[in-house]
Amino acid sequence: MKNLLNLRNKTIYFDKYLFISISLLSIMGLVFLYSASQANTVVVFKQSIFVLFGLLLMFFLSQPDPNFYKSNSLMFFGISIVLIVLTLLIGKEANGAKRWLDFGFFTLQSSEIIKITLPVFLAGYLYDKKLPISLLNTFITLIVILIIVNLVRIQPDLGTSLVILMSGIYILFLAGLSWKFIGFSSIAFILSLPFFWNNFLEPFQQQRILTLLDPSADPYGTGWNITQSKIAIGSGGLQGKGYQMGSQAHLDFLPETETDFIFSVIAEEFGFIGVCLLLTVFIFILLRCLYLALNARDRFCRLTIGGLSLIFLSTVLINLSMVVGIIPVVGMPLPFISKGGSSLLSFYIAFGIIISMASHKKLMQK
Amino acid sequence: MINLEERISEKKSFFNRLIIVYIFFAGLFLYFLYKTFLLQISSYTDYEIASLENKTREVLLQPRRGVIYDRNGNILVNNVPSFNLIINPSSIENIDDHLNEINQIINLTEDEENYAKENFSRLAKLNRELVLKKNLSTEERSRFKVRKYKFPNTFIDQRYSRENLYPFLFSHSLGYTGSPEESDIEEIFLNQNLKPKEMIFSYSNGYLIGKTGLEYTYDDFIRGRFGKKIFEVDASGKFLNELRVVDAINGKDLFTSLDLESQKVAYEQLNRRRGAVVAVDINTGAIVTYLSSPSFSVNKIANGMTQKEFKLLINDDDKPFFDRAAQGRYSPASTIKPAIALFGIENNIIDWDFTLDDPGYFILPEDGRIYRGWKKGGHGNINLNDAIIESSNTFFFSLAYKSEIEDLTKHLSNFGFGEIVCLDCFLPDSGLLPNPSWKMNNLNFGWFKGDTVNLGVGQGYMSATPIQLAYYASFLANKGELNKFSFVQDNDNKEVKKNIFLSNNIDENDWLKLHESMIGVIENSKGTAGRLRALKDYTIAAKSGTVELVSTETKEDYKIIREIEGQRDHAIIIAFGPMPNPKYAVSVVIENGESGGSVAGPVAIEVLNALLKK
Repeated sequence: MKNLLNLRNKTIYFDKYLFISISLLSIMGLVFLYSASQANTVVVFKQSIFVLFGLLLMFFLSQPDPNFYKSNSLMFFGISIVLIVLTLLIGKEANGAKRWLDFGFFTLQSSEIIKITLPVFLAGYLYDKKLPISLLNTFITLIVILIIVNLVRIQPDLGTSLVILMSGIYILFLAGLSWKFIGFSSIAFILSLPFFWNNFLEPFQQQRILTLLDPSADPYGTGWNITQSKIAIGSGGLQGKGYQMGSQAHLDFLPETETDFIFSVIAEEFGFIGVCLLLTVFIFILLRCLYLALNARDRFCRLTIGGLSLIFLSTVLINLSMVVGIIPVVGMPLPFISKGGSSLLSFYIAFGIIISMASHKKLMQK
Repeated sequence: MINLEERISEKKSFFNRLIIVYIFFAGLFLYFLYKTFLLQISSYTDYEIASLENKTREVLLQPRRGVIYDRNGNILVNNVPSFNLIINPSSIENIDDHLNEINQIINLTEDEENYAKENFSRLAKLNRELVLKKNLSTEERSRFKVRKYKFPNTFIDQRYSRENLYPFLFSHSLGYTGSPEESDIEEIFLNQNLKPKEMIFSYSNGYLIGKTGLEYTYDDFIRGRFGKKIFEVDASGKFLNELRVVDAINGKDLFTSLDLESQKVAYEQLNRRRGAVVAVDINTGAIVTYLSSPSFSVNKIANGMTQKEFKLLINDDDKPFFDRAAQGRYSPASTIKPAIALFGIENNIIDWDFTLDDPGYFILPEDGRIYRGWKKGGHGNINLNDAIIESSNTFFFSLAYKSEIEDLTKHLSNFGFGEIVCLDCFLPDSGLLPNPSWKMNNLNFGWFKGDTVNLGVGQGYMSATPIQLAYYASFLANKGELNKFSFVQDNDNKEVKKNIFLSNNIDENDWLKLHESMIGVIENSKGTAGRLRALKDYTIAAKSGTVELVSTETKEDYKIIREIEGQRDHAIIIAFGPMPNPKYAVSVVIENGESGGSVAGPVAIEVLNALLKK
């Protein structure tokens, strides 16, 4: 394989497992989206463009040497912060939230970019620090993370800010955060939960969490989405109702079928068998990432692959847990499946970086 | 930079930590898979049903209520389609303004406006429709159609109204229909395996159930079964397409035993006087004539009546709603005498040859109290036959005096007194057949011998309904063999009561003699109902009675009390014919009619004439 791609004496960096599985997932996503969007060809066409562009982006981003990312991580991070601040200043407002920068042909959700650049930046910062990470470095890292998280939270975008928080903490943890610190901060976190509940959550966010505890208490109000999603998934049964045959999705009982709740559509139309097949692809990608992380050439690459793959994993799990009612509805797409520009592209970027980290071997090892 | 040793330990630490995170997430993944399994496999059926219920709506199709016929196939009650102007009160804010606007297009009468105003808020609360005007003309309909856009909550639709073709003739027997209560609907739906959910969404308006009379007792039979149209709907409740139709099963038609002609005659004869007429076919126990007077229009009640009209009826002193035939309690008075006579014969107290001197009164030996007959000076030396024909009180006072009260009441209960004699009458009363324990419990007094003596002439505590009197008359006519009464001739559920009467002491000969003396009531020159002779050309057996409401010693005293109409005697008669093979029996009560023979009697004869087509 490598030989075939070794054209014009230039090595092409490539991971066939990830590339094939992500392409497969993207194509499956297009098929599901066609049904979830009520056979809306415009939506599917737009998504196809994103998929195609995304795959190309992924390919090109896997070409530079990891050192390119390491040495430029501060610059990428800086640009991301500028975008975030710009969003807060001149962003496009929709549904009471300022999350988008309008570029005319494309509206960029800047928080999706920083979700990738923050862990790369932190990996670049922490890769040469002694074990365990000193208290000073821990605090510096945490302060950076919290500033970014808060910039996103005030948009407001609770879901993405949580993912960003996680992405930072993953890197910190993987880089060797001291267990003592973890222990103390966990206790502090649990004790401060009521404070967060009262000061950081909007009333509608509190309501979502309460609804989760008993969705049937309010079936036509805030619990409607979860109830309808459960009905869609449950009524899919083992084999599903058939492609484009999901009544929950097609008669508008299910909300947000193209984005947050696309999994419910899949589960309704393809049943438990379909769900298992889809999960197999996700699990394959994740296991491949685990393998690549464990075999990465240096600490920076390890941290980056580990951190980015865990963001992917978290996003998938948050979406899945949300649609079956394990956690509140926070607004989280299913990567490579849900409709959406920025979040979709952010994962192609993430995997482009992962492949770069994984496929470039150290010169001295050769 | 970190050295090699540290690098190795760093790699190990990274390795461990990443594995820990992956294991943690693997756990979450498994939990998610388990949850999905629960939803899709374990609870599949529940969610499949939930999804099905989500996307379907059932709209009820109303069955047509059964038509009610008389015994000759004449339609008595029918369903009449009409185009009605209907509003949805729950979505209209101000009914006065709304009516004013409607009035500019379709003229509403004052009654119609009042009806709408009175019922507006109640129907709004129940989320039911309100019919503003019925029977719109084609012109009115087209006038509304072009201006319909102005009235989003008003529409014209076809509704069936229940129409009694003879609304005053059958007010009490057939009864009326009306809108069901929420609880009625719930029960009907439960009965027909319909879910309450459908009720909320698609309870079809204009549905009627029987409220009184046969409409009520046979509601189950003539109601039919709801059908349904099943639609696919989207989340907003918009109807997308029809999936399935289950046709409604129309109610069965009810063929009653009522006879329209005789009913008309009874109605004309009573002419809105207070009273009741019941006639039956003695061979089957089928009720053929059933009238309580005065009556009221069932159509008005069923199809909307203003409170003013309703109050007028409710406050009417003649109490038109009261079903005198089934619930009116009257002393049987002298009509009881044939039954007392049979008691005397059965218990060997008297026989047909026994005679007695009637001085016009009976003195109770215990306390010397005097019980008077109706004729001053009495009837002289009389036997049982004369005593019935001339209606001697003394004879029956004396006979009752010799009777044991417990035996006597048991005997009388065989004739239907104190019993429910009708299978399908609406709320029948059982009258009162008094005995010592009843008196003790209700009046806190012991039984006097005088009470038994009074019972001998059907006065005192005893009371019977006109339908019980008709049963009694049929029983006599049929020589003690009778079905319970019913309005439906071939009612499968009929509790056949072949009551071969009494004891061996009463034989065919006794029955014939009894019939003979009851024929004498009309045919004999001394008979109390001799005036009826000219009204017919066949033989009828009868016994008249006059119910004293106020006890008077002399005719002069009675003249004083009769100044007040409500104190006058009730007129009462039982009759059956044609003799010697009777077909029909009839009872007539006319309140404050005074003379059983000459006031109630003609009504009975005319009804029998109509039934026998003479």
